[in-house]
Amino acid sequence: MIPEQPVYLEDKVDEIRQSGRLAYRSTALPTWCPGCGYYSMTEGLVNALTELRIKTEDTVIVSGIGCASRFPFFMDTYGFHTLHGRALPVATGVKVANDKLTVVAVGGDGDGFAIGGGHIPHAARRNVNITYLLFDNGIYGLTKGQVSPTSATGFITPTSPFQNRDAPLNPLLMLLSYGASWVGQAYAGWPHHLSQLIRQALEHPGFSYLHVLSPCVTFDKTDRTYQNLDLAVRELDAGHDSSDLAAAMRAAADTSTPTLGLYYAEMRETLGQALDLIAARAAGAQRIKRATTRHRRRKAPA
Amino acid sequence: MAKQTDIQISICGSAGDGTIAVGDIFKRAMARAGYRVIAFDHYPAEIRGFGKCISRTRISNNQVYSMKSYSDVLVSLNDLHAIPHVGEVRDYGAIIYDSAPMSAVAEGAHISGHLMPGHLPYALPIRELSELATGANRSRNIVALGFIAGLYQLPQQAFHQAIAAKFEAKAPAVADTALAAFDSGFKSGSSTYKFDDVQVGRPRARKNGGEVRMMTGNGAIAHGCLEAGIETFFGYPITPATGIMERLAVEMPRRGGRLVQTEDEIAAISATIGAGYAGARAATATSGPGLALMAEMLGLGVMAEVPAVVFVSQRGGPSTGMPTKTEQSDLNLAVWGGHGDAGRIVLAPTNVEGCRRCAARAFEMAEKFQVPVIVLIDLYLSNRYETVFLQGEDNFLPKNWQRVGSSAPGDNYRRYELTADGLSPRCVPGEAGGIHTATGLEHDEYGRPNDNPDVHSLMSEKRHEKLRDAMKYRGINFTKRFGDKGKIDVGLLAWGSTFGEALEAVLLAREEGIRCAAMKVVMISPLPSRPILRFCNDCQQVLVPELNYTGQFANLVSGELGRPVVRVNHATGAPMDINYLLTAIRNAAKKKLRSKTTTSNPTKA
Amino acid sequence: MPTSTHHVVLGNGIAGNHAADVIRKRDPNSRITIISAGALLFYNRYDLPNVFRGRHQWVDYLVHPPEYYESQNITLRRKTRVVELEPQAQTLSLAHRETLHYDKLLIATGGHAYIPARLLDDVGLMHSFHNFRVAMQVQSAVRKNGTVIMLGGDVMGLDLARTIIATGHRVIVALDNRTFWPHEIAQSERARYLQALESMGLDVRDHGKVDHIEAGNSKGPARQVFFEDGSEIRGDVVMPFFGLVPTVDFLATSGIDMERGILVNPQLQTARDNIWAAGDVCQIWSATSNAYRFYYGYRNVKMMGEVAAYNMTGEQSPFESTVDEALEVTSKGLLHSPFWEYDQRG
Repeated sequence: MIPEQPVYLEDKVDEIRQSGRLAYRSTALPTWCPGCGYYSMTEGLVNALTELRIKTEDTVIVSGIGCASRFPFFMDTYGFHTLHGRALPVATGVKVANDKLTVVAVGGDGDGFAIGGGHIPHAARRNVNITYLLFDNGIYGLTKGQVSPTSATGFITPTSPFQNRDAPLNPLLMLLSYGASWVGQAYAGWPHHLSQLIRQALEHPGFSYLHVLSPCVTFDKTDRTYQNLDLAVRELDAGHDSSDLAAAMRAAADTSTPTLGLYYAEMRETLGQALDLIAARAAGAQRIKRATTRHRRRKAPA
Repeated sequence: MAKQTDIQISICGSAGDGTIAVGDIFKRAMARAGYRVIAFDHYPAEIRGFGKCISRTRISNNQVYSMKSYSDVLVSLNDLHAIPHVGEVRDYGAIIYDSAPMSAVAEGAHISGHLMPGHLPYALPIRELSELATGANRSRNIVALGFIAGLYQLPQQAFHQAIAAKFEAKAPAVADTALAAFDSGFKSGSSTYKFDDVQVGRPRARKNGGEVRMMTGNGAIAHGCLEAGIETFFGYPITPATGIMERLAVEMPRRGGRLVQTEDEIAAISATIGAGYAGARAATATSGPGLALMAEMLGLGVMAEVPAVVFVSQRGGPSTGMPTKTEQSDLNLAVWGGHGDAGRIVLAPTNVEGCRRCAARAFEMAEKFQVPVIVLIDLYLSNRYETVFLQGEDNFLPKNWQRVGSSAPGDNYRRYELTADGLSPRCVPGEAGGIHTATGLEHDEYGRPNDNPDVHSLMSEKRHEKLRDAMKYRGINFTKRFGDKGKIDVGLLAWGSTFGEALEAVLLAREEGIRCAAMKVVMISPLPSRPILRFCNDCQQVLVPELNYTGQFANLVSGELGRPVVRVNHATGAPMDINYLLTAIRNAAKKKLRSKTTTSNPTKA
Repeated sequence: MPTSTHHVVLGNGIAGNHAADVIRKRDPNSRITIISAGALLFYNRYDLPNVFRGRHQWVDYLVHPPEYYESQNITLRRKTRVVELEPQAQTLSLAHRETLHYDKLLIATGGHAYIPARLLDDVGLMHSFHNFRVAMQVQSAVRKNGTVIMLGGDVMGLDLARTIIATGHRVIVALDNRTFWPHEIAQSERARYLQALESMGLDVRDHGKVDHIEAGNSKGPARQVFFEDGSEIRGDVVMPFFGLVPTVDFLATSGIDMERGILVNPQLQTARDNIWAAGDVCQIWSATSNAYRFYYGYRNVKMMGEVAAYNMTGEQSPFESTVDEALEVTSKGLLHSPFWEYDQRG
């Protein structure tokens, strides 16, 4: 064993400064609980943006309501902190208004799958070129620990004192069936893997959905803890073919072992491309119509 | 002296008779000929079947503001549908009907048995003429149109052009058939002795050219959007606003604009706010039910100071109510809808031209005042046609409103800087130095969450203070008085589509010698209290006519001015009844006389 | 439950309207329908010569305002033509393919101008004067100080001629054996009556039968009339006044007894149940003449309408004419027919 080299704080700070990562971070101090998975996600997003050299002013982070609400405030990019459940349609509006922007929607399981659940299929099927980072801790953290749509059956919370009787949703399976063109799963406890997947998600041209498993260190001491998740998560099989939707769905359907990695990716027309095509068609429509009329007229005398 | 023209023609038939189509040709031809046209069609609520259709068109030399309470001419293409409408024709007006129906009718089922003594009958073998002219009975509607044109000596050329334009996209034989049917009716009309006293004079020549277009309120809104350079539109279909999206879906892409049909109204307003935040000229359109869903997101627009335009066409409520009937019962929702003190701008145009102007100006106002602007109309205005005179180049394109305030983009950029007029420098994503996070949380000048009492107090003031300036905006007449000047007996304070009927009623009341005037109020929020109060102070009695049960505008005005007004509510689903309004004016004028005598009595005693 | 009787009156003239008026008085609850071929409310046809005096609004000729029909609860169906009567079924077939049921029917369809067969080819070149619309056409066709050619010259024509002359025009009367119709002038008296016509200012011509009529050229008068004797008259309009024939064509299959007109007993009832006739359309049995005969003139026609109405509502009164029917020459040498006397209010 080679003894580890000591790391000096000053050197590390220099390294961080030179990396350019700090440009993406605001000076506001995060309000999350110590140990919260959102720190990993912030770090992962900052790393990915840094690596991809995306300008801060060309980046827009859109959040809804929940523990992710304040995510934009901790980034030094454009941000829009919107309403509970509405991050996706607002992000869609931003992207439609300006295709040049890199738009990232962030939110939790309650924001995304409870109140905002109706918007996800439509963002997915339109293939709007944004990235949706969904932070799933199976609980309503900001309102202090109520049951959520991804809470396990049997979970006891202030609003399910006699155990949660509802079955949890399977977000990955939903997204795959909604036609999301990029679906992956990461874990807050694997920050480097998370960071890589965020980068891939940002690079994907189309709607990319990254499901991030994370503990709520404050309100869930029993179910989705770091200890439990550390033991449970696995990487997808090395042989998993991310162009095989059926394989991706099989993996997603296996809820006994949360597997991490890129489930599925396909290249298809994005909303922006579709709107450009419509514009081109509309501009050419007159020509097409006239051409056919002429054709018909020429035929008429015979 | 040139004959004055002001006639209203109703064509009534069933859905299969081409009633609306022929009404459409009629109004376009009359607009082409240079008349002013205003028209409102009645469709069956059901999609299928042979429900009743009525096309009503008023043509005139001078600007008119509503349909008339009666028609001068009624054409029946289907007697069973038309018989109940015989009574809307005035004495010495005309009723034109088919004298040779295809099959035998039951006793009482022919319209000739239902004419009132004052009506003049024109029994025309419509079906036979159609068959003679075209070999088929399908052109009955056009034969009847030709008869009207011939009887009243309307310019044949304008009809020929309108018919050709109508069938332009179809095979040439279709237009030829229609022209043959028209000419046959025209010939018959020209050789028919005119007993009625319906007069059509020559159209008035217009001074400064410009293009004449027939537009519905919805069409005019779409037109205004395009003139204002709309970039994005997000919408969800809902009667009666859908026409706006349908028109824009055709026109926006041609100009590089982007339109997305969203999954619901919440997504529509969310994306609109998102696009507005990102710097695009963005709009959505809906009706009351959709507006109710949008209320929360509008609050975010107010809080985050995001420009957005929301077109709302009201229909009968509450709940699903009467989707194909008109009402003005979403004023409360438009002005107050949502939680918190969320002041916004609400504009209510009163006619089709106003729809165009308000639509175009709404974008400018939204950007200048950094707030959602609601343009509130109703089904009656959405669907009615009027001639709109487009003049010169449009001046509705965006101006650079972003650069207000002193805080320049840079290190110390403050998106929500407190300024004298409440307007802060606005930067949009993509601009370096303007980075900020917009939020629905109460925030400081930088946009950082802050619930300090002073901050909330100052920011609340800022958000409302800037709207005060909106009343000084010069692109639209927010109020305008018509009728008698100075002190008057009765004043009508009207908004939206009802203003047209209000003004018609005032003009009739003035003929009866009642001193009265009507004021239209186009800006509903913030309410331009000063001119309204000045008007009310001139009136012995102020009537507020509205198409709702509770008097939503009356409540708003009397609350704001602290002055009582008389409510004239009409909640039937139909436009305001001019005669009903006229009666209200007469009663108010009488009451005024009575109060004069009662006050003078004590002095005598 | 009392069912109200449906009284249907065919014809919107003097007989029909006076009948409706009386029926309404005698049976306030009954249903009354007047059927008219024309477009207008009841107006006074005796007044029509006034179009030459500048009365060009049809409203000015109305006997009743529109409100009258509403207050009297009378349904007036205009522009409605009856094509068939079925007395058995008590129904009328209307031209627009509606069938109307009646309980009691009064036929008061009047008469229309008689056109001799030899002139039928030239009908398009002649003007009639039987309603407001055609009266207006005549008025506008006659130029200032222009000429009206009257063929025949029956009592209606002579009435009109008085006004036309009084308004500065010229009237030429081409005599015929129906001149003075329906008055019968003894041959010995004829010269005196022709003299009276001339004193009235008429230009009286006796050229025998008309051969044909032609449209004039654009410069001169619009019409030329050629006679069998080779002579020729020019004028702005040519008007046939050969007397009336009853309007009964729709009765062909009805089984109603007719001679020239509908045959009725003195109570004005036809041989069919529930059908009466009044006015110029009917021939009434006259015991004194031992024949069915016509009665003309405003006062007779009005009386017939009233009598029929009484009898339709339960009476059995006979019609008795009180009108002196002879044409006379006044002390001033002018003609006077009792048939010209009418009440201005209809």
